[in-house]
Amino acid sequence: MASKDVVEYASPARRIANVAVVVFLAVYLLWTILPIFVMFVSSLKDLLEAFRIPAVGDWSGIALFFDFEPTFKHYTNLFVNLNFGVYFFNSVAAALGSAVVSVTLGATCAYALSRTEFRGKKDLFFWIISTRMAPVVAVMVPLYAIFRSLELVGSLWGLILAYTTFNLPFAIWILKGFFDNVPFAIEEAQMVDGATRMQAFRSILPLVAPGIGAFLVLCVLFAWNDFLFASIIGSGGAKTLPVATKELVQPQNIQWGSIMAAGVVTTLPMMFLGLLIRRYLVTGLTMGAVRE
Amino acid sequence: MATQVLPGGALRGDAPGGINPVGIMPGFVTRDGVTVLEAEPLARNPEPSRRYYFYMMAPAIITLAAISLYPFFWLIWMSLHDVDIMAGDKWVGLKNFERLFTRDAKFSNGWLLLIQYSAMCLFFEVLLGVLIAVLLNRSRWEKVLVTVFLMPMMMAPAIAGLVWYYLYNGTFGWYHWFMQSVGLLGETSILGSPSTAMIGLVLVDIWQWTPLIVLITLAGLKRVPRDQLEANMVDGAGEIRNFFQVVLPNLYPFLLIGILLRFMDNFRFIDSVLILTGGGPADATNILPVYLFDVSFQYFKLGRGAAIALTLLVVTIILGMFLVKIFDSPAARNVGRTEG
Amino acid sequence: MASVSIDKVWKYYGQTPAVKELHLEVADGEFVAVLGPSGCGKSSTLRMLAGLEHISAGEIRFGAKRINDLPPRDRDIAMVFENYALYPHKTVFDNMANPLKLRGVERSVIEDRVRKAAAILEIGHLLERRPGELSGGQKQRTAIGRAIVREPALFLFDEPIAHLDAKLRAHMRGELKLMQRRLGTTMIYVTHDQLEALSMADRIAVMNDGVLQQLGTPRQIYDHPVNAWVAGFVGEPPINFLDCRIVEEKGELRLVHSSFDLVLRPEQAAIVRERYAQREVRMGIRPDQIAISTVETPDSFGGQILVTEPIGGDMLVDVSLGGDKVLVKTRPDFEGRMDSPCYLTLDRGRWHLFGKDDGVALF
Repeated sequence: MASKDVVEYASPARRIANVAVVVFLAVYLLWTILPIFVMFVSSLKDLLEAFRIPAVGDWSGIALFFDFEPTFKHYTNLFVNLNFGVYFFNSVAAALGSAVVSVTLGATCAYALSRTEFRGKKDLFFWIISTRMAPVVAVMVPLYAIFRSLELVGSLWGLILAYTTFNLPFAIWILKGFFDNVPFAIEEAQMVDGATRMQAFRSILPLVAPGIGAFLVLCVLFAWNDFLFASIIGSGGAKTLPVATKELVQPQNIQWGSIMAAGVVTTLPMMFLGLLIRRYLVTGLTMGAVRE
Repeated sequence: MATQVLPGGALRGDAPGGINPVGIMPGFVTRDGVTVLEAEPLARNPEPSRRYYFYMMAPAIITLAAISLYPFFWLIWMSLHDVDIMAGDKWVGLKNFERLFTRDAKFSNGWLLLIQYSAMCLFFEVLLGVLIAVLLNRSRWEKVLVTVFLMPMMMAPAIAGLVWYYLYNGTFGWYHWFMQSVGLLGETSILGSPSTAMIGLVLVDIWQWTPLIVLITLAGLKRVPRDQLEANMVDGAGEIRNFFQVVLPNLYPFLLIGILLRFMDNFRFIDSVLILTGGGPADATNILPVYLFDVSFQYFKLGRGAAIALTLLVVTIILGMFLVKIFDSPAARNVGRTEG
Repeated sequence: MASVSIDKVWKYYGQTPAVKELHLEVADGEFVAVLGPSGCGKSSTLRMLAGLEHISAGEIRFGAKRINDLPPRDRDIAMVFENYALYPHKTVFDNMANPLKLRGVERSVIEDRVRKAAAILEIGHLLERRPGELSGGQKQRTAIGRAIVREPALFLFDEPIAHLDAKLRAHMRGELKLMQRRLGTTMIYVTHDQLEALSMADRIAVMNDGVLQQLGTPRQIYDHPVNAWVAGFVGEPPINFLDCRIVEEKGELRLVHSSFDLVLRPEQAAIVRERYAQREVRMGIRPDQIAISTVETPDSFGGQILVTEPIGGDMLVDVSLGGDKVLVKTRPDFEGRMDSPCYLTLDRGRWHLFGKDDGVALF
């Protein structure tokens, strides 16, 4: 057996390079987590503490950042006074609703697409994928006009449908790749063993279940993180967390503590879900083009 | 065993004395040692029904048609009208487009800024992303760091925008304080001045999406064939040459996918831009999708908005065609497979 | 139990024919191997039998019953797939029990039959494992087990042992043959490996380019190939072909090559006279039907040894004959050396003549 790593030979230049690499990665790590860290810490700060900042050039003043009494009052404020319970529910309902619709419809469609050949399949496929790639604002212009006449603007149903415009093509596209990887011979064996066509289809579902679950989560993530659709199609009756958070920014009175707390409330569940489906993340984020 | 008439060689029973009687069935001929038949069957059996596949596809296709194809035609209709919620719609022909291409400086400016914005984001994201991926690949910290790098991507762009808005703030933002302290900025915050606002947006995009390029590159690096690397090393190449001669060519399809995806996402999402600058100051960051948003949902000129949306859609679809081509290309599929 | 009739069957993929006018009768209880290179249409044939492919034209009957339009589950068949097609999330037991469960067989009967089949295949101790934990041979046995628990009327095997290593393959050949004899079930076995076909089957159907080339017992196929292609495909090491001329002299027919000039036997000459007008022929002779010696004997002719390859129990010798090259299989104690002369004698009772242009066997 060959060793896993390509051999490296030690030299002074190499040692200096190694140090440089460590420093570079450390700086990049800091740059990546700092905004998130600031968000967490600021959500625990009182109003005045959040605004404190040292004089320009006073490097020792960085200590000021850590000089505060942690308080959870912004979190309680969000849920007690600012109705965030409702917005949280809206976010969950819209994201989960569209994810379930997309994955259910998408899985059966993807399966059929994966198992059959017909003329125009390529064109159908391109149409499906291009719907997913369309700029959200551009899609929203006609959708808004149509939904307004159907009185879907400001309703959760409208939002679910709006999210389905990008989640359904995503689900079809990704899940087709998934079904393509399940050998058809397994279903054929089932049919020879005595299964009907539908029983054979159901028999391979356990094989793709983890993937389907992961992409359901990914659909939730895409919908949850949306701001544009929610701010226009969902405006009023179906306010979701990102929109509600943005609305805390008011010209005369920006409630930074609450904004940061709302940011944490919005972000934390998604980070957790992201870690949960870590294995499928790259595949999902690259539309299935790249597998880890 | 019964004697049987066969094509090819034909009457075949227990051949007496090792001698084959030969008689070829009509239609069959032997050519160059192989028995062939170039006839057609007399009649074909009817094809079996494949309707269940159709039934399985129909719900999704119909839904998608209803929420994307139908709106698309609606969009074309709108672009040819002056859409007014109160007064009703009025046919204006190509006036909306004419106005965009002849009299609307913000439209052409929007395209220019969008290209600028995307180009800057992509340049730095790819540069940083590849560098970090190469440094991380097979290192001790790869797993931990990659997990940390995932965090910005999981954040809603709107929330990311708000957090950075706070960090950039001219009076209490820590990043502003830092940049002021090292002498990069004066009193005005990075988003406050037309000359620096775009850089502020690009930094946020780099922060949030460089990790995606890192992940894609890492996946690509794992597929660089070891034997190619080793052969090149035995041939006398050092690490740097190895990178340019072996690693980079193998990485190329991955990078192309990453670049196109990010490029299209820059067209697709403007959440953080809307929150950070909303197109300002003085239209310095008024990239086309933001302008489209303003026209459609601030001034409610939906007809004109539809015309802008159409131009944006056409360009994205062309980009999408490239992307799908790459998905389908043998180059992308064969990545990691060794020659021979 | 059932006999199988494949009657003028065609398979088209789009406009490309994969199987052309196939006619094949398989008797009840018979073991028929369908042999051919990849792309010859043998797998399509098997899949049409299984009901996994639509039969483009023609008819297939099991016994007297036309099965063209029956779905796989109603054909009373069992199939072993090339890559085993086991359900990765089920245990060996559940994999084997699957066909019985789908048919609603009672739990206790299932238990009984699976254990019996597992005992025959010597995988009784693996019943609780999943396919991922099995070796290639064990997976293959599980797949066969799934096929035999149901006691079907017809077994269809699609290259079932192609992916095993050489040693295990040799072992499985014997086992499969024994199993089929014991169960007495009709079996159609697709393979590209002529050794499997020759060693196991009652009869072999050789296919190429979608056309059945020859159907016969292993002996018939090996000793009396109907055309040059079958002669070349069956046999290892492969048959030698030499382009020769027929010369008539004093009422005798002689086969003339730059290195030899040999008289055809009277019955052979009769066939050539009756059926072949041309003078150019292609002679085929298997490596073990040529005797080689370092000393000249009557009837022998000279050549030059190119290379000798001892392969344990035998020795292969490459001999140059004029511009041609022939391979000779001989005893391992043959003492000829490279580049030295040697003398060959052909077994004239077993050589073959093929038409020069069409390749049809004369004898």
